[in-house]
Amino acid sequence: MTTVGLDITSSGWVTTFQDLGRRDTERRGVPTGGAADQHSASVANLLVGNPREATLIESLGGELALVPGAPVLLAVTGAPAQVTVGGAPADSWSPLVVPAGQEIRVRGDMDRGTRTYLAVNGTLTARTLLGSAAPDARMGFGQVIARGERLLVETEFRGFGRRLFEPQLFRLPVPVPRFDHGPWVVDVVASHGIHTIAGIRQLIEDSTYVVTPRSNHVGLRLDGPVLHPDDDTEIVSHGVPVGALQIPHADELIVLGRYRSLTAGYPIVGVTSRAALPLLGQAGPGRELRFRWIDRETSLRRFARREAEVRALGHAAAEAFGALGFGAPLSRINCEAILI
Amino acid sequence: MTTAQYGAVAVEPFGDSAVMVTIPHADQAIRRAAIVAFRDRFLAHRPPGVLDVVSGLESLLVEFDPLRTALQHVEYAVRLVARWAPSDGPSPGRTVRAFTVPVVFDGEYGPDLASVAEELGLTPAEVIEAIGESTFTIALLGAAMAPMMDGLKVPRPVRRRAEPRTDVVPGSVMIAGTNAIIQPFPGPTGWRVVGRTPHTIVDISRPDPVSFGPGDVVRFTPVTRDEAAALDAGFLLPTEEAV
Repeated sequence: MTTVGLDITSSGWVTTFQDLGRRDTERRGVPTGGAADQHSASVANLLVGNPREATLIESLGGELALVPGAPVLLAVTGAPAQVTVGGAPADSWSPLVVPAGQEIRVRGDMDRGTRTYLAVNGTLTARTLLGSAAPDARMGFGQVIARGERLLVETEFRGFGRRLFEPQLFRLPVPVPRFDHGPWVVDVVASHGIHTIAGIRQLIEDSTYVVTPRSNHVGLRLDGPVLHPDDDTEIVSHGVPVGALQIPHADELIVLGRYRSLTAGYPIVGVTSRAALPLLGQAGPGRELRFRWIDRETSLRRFARREAEVRALGHAAAEAFGALGFGAPLSRINCEAILI
Repeated sequence: MTTAQYGAVAVEPFGDSAVMVTIPHADQAIRRAAIVAFRDRFLAHRPPGVLDVVSGLESLLVEFDPLRTALQHVEYAVRLVARWAPSDGPSPGRTVRAFTVPVVFDGEYGPDLASVAEELGLTPAEVIEAIGESTFTIALLGAAMAPMMDGLKVPRPVRRRAEPRTDVVPGSVMIAGTNAIIQPFPGPTGWRVVGRTPHTIVDISRPDPVSFGPGDVVRFTPVTRDEAAALDAGFLLPTEEAV
């Protein structure tokens, strides 16, 4: 195991340590948080032989760049991005070797998605709060990575003795999501509140909504037509699942994110399907969304299919890296679903 | 509380991997107390695949991993737990801790003290006395682990602010209804700010950022600013443990 320094030469708009979020902390008032796009974060880690819940880097906007002090194995996932290593184009959604002293640059295409993820084989040194490196701004736990910082990663990777321009090292079954240019279709399971507003189901299905700049980790605020309940039935403060569709008193639709807290007073008409949550984590201002109602069984079938793809990648990566002789972190691959 | 009040739970699916549990009853106080008791028992017998629970005032959101368990299994477990009569006394497997929290009550640290007094038809000194004589029980940890307590003994429930304050400093002691809460981090609130404790309530550099949990007992002791400064108060720790 060696400790390698990663010098941050550019940090984009907001770059933070990240992981899949906190477990079992919601009942103590701390939201799960974690990567907005859990799929991309999981895949980035698996592509470098890490457990999927390992600490990695999440970057929103601008250009992230770093220079390792020794060769490292890393992977970039998330929104479509221009990736270069030592100035030469490189692939995202694939393991990459960055030689010592070479710079890797990642520039996400903000028109296609908001967040990119960068995972490095090994263990990144980062502070944790309640067992997770995920930021929690509300608790003063920013986890921001700034230009000029040196991150440390403990890794067993020693390089493959290959040059950058040789063919791709691995052919892994990578489940790469689509980041289309047009409106994104989000699957939603109806919930109780839908019965309190006549016509809302049809209206949401027929309309296109646009993500506004007032959106953040707590929720996406969408412009588009909504309806309100006729009566003023009191709704007392209660917990809500990530991805809940809430209709506030104003004429907007809110999709709650991983940093939501209790909600009160507003009807919840549906909850985003688990399989569609990663897509929402990539939706930035200006993005058009359309909602499609699906039943719970269909929703879970899609989630199970997505999860099977991620597991298949995990197993393939474990075999490939095992054959190359570095396997330590892989033995800890956690097959439990931890997407929330 | 009787088994009958407890047995009638409503379990409603919420999205593809959560259920909302409520206890239908005409009496709000029973709904609220019963869901707290249910939560404690459910967590003490947590079924496999249940990831976390989120307490609401009158509900419990149960989040589960749909690949490890299924809606029907979770619902079944909820109904089973609900049918057992709750035992008396504190929640199982946990010691009740007691906290004595020194608080400076004055016009600057407690900008809503005067208006609360006016609303209740008391003097500010009488409000401070009422708070000091109340024994609070922590009902739940609110946003950012803030201790939310029941037990304020005042002539009638205290209203929230019509216009929330946007930036309340950490350590602020706040009341609303018959509840009290301590603000752990700077932020907005609609609660009435009546004082400030010099203690750190939540310390994120500690492995466990808080020393309290639901069921613990809190008393507020009025102190002067000089006394507060002399305390050299750090992280809030319990004063005693009672079984």
